[in-house]
Amino acid sequence: MRTAKPLSPPSERRRARRRITVRADRARLVRVCQFVGASAAATGFDERTSHACQLAVCEAVENVIQHGYQGEAGEINVTVETTPGALTVEIADRAPAFDPTRYPVDPDAPVHESRVGGRGILMIRRVMDEISYERRGPQNVLRLTKNQPFSGV
Amino acid sequence: METSTQVYQRVAVLSVKGRVDSTSASDLEAALKKLLDEGRTNLVLDLSGVEFLSSSGLRVLVTTLKAVRKSAGDLRLAQLSQRASDAIDLAGLDVLFKTYEDREAAVASF
Repeated sequence: MRTAKPLSPPSERRRARRRITVRADRARLVRVCQFVGASAAATGFDERTSHACQLAVCEAVENVIQHGYQGEAGEINVTVETTPGALTVEIADRAPAFDPTRYPVDPDAPVHESRVGGRGILMIRRVMDEISYERRGPQNVLRLTKNQPFSGV
Repeated sequence: METSTQVYQRVAVLSVKGRVDSTSASDLEAALKKLLDEGRTNLVLDLSGVEFLSSSGLRVLVTTLKAVRKSAGDLRLAQLSQRASDAIDLAGLDVLFKTYEDREAAVASF
């Protein structure tokens, strides 16, 4: 007798996962942006929310290139998972351990030139609805989730 | 990224188009430095054509702002695209800059 395959819940059926691997090279940031933009469109996000996600992910990837690998050769895996209304982006690298969720950022601190870098982390926190970090063996894994529309700060 | 400059008697306007990120921020810095080297410290940045503005680009804006204010000048922003405006707000830098909805108003403010 044949049994019907149980159906997964609707959200599972519409879940998609895609990944790209880029060199730790600033010239690859545009590719990451395009990848995130296309993925954000698949979730049904509006243009403004999609742009905010691209900005946050590019800031995170740029931090890995600049402060993680520091000019050394390396790779960065960017994995996106989309469901209707939610985008999760996982950024994995093999640079020395760095946890951006614990980096102190004071939005009201006076702006000094050298500290503008910390602004990138502030941008990530302000855009994303959930942020988590994990050191997985030799890898930094930063997980960013957007599940609400972005309508300004 | 592309820039173009329009020079008035007291003010210079630099229009910026495209992506301002870590690969192009140095080009923006060079365009602004050229104006500073010419002794121009009253500057307007027309950001209507900006499609992407990362913290690297914002760093150039802040550095230039400090330089011109030291010489009693200012860097004012005009016609911000939604994307430029969001980036500046997200970085918490909106309080630093005077912004204008149109370019003529920004020029006339000096």
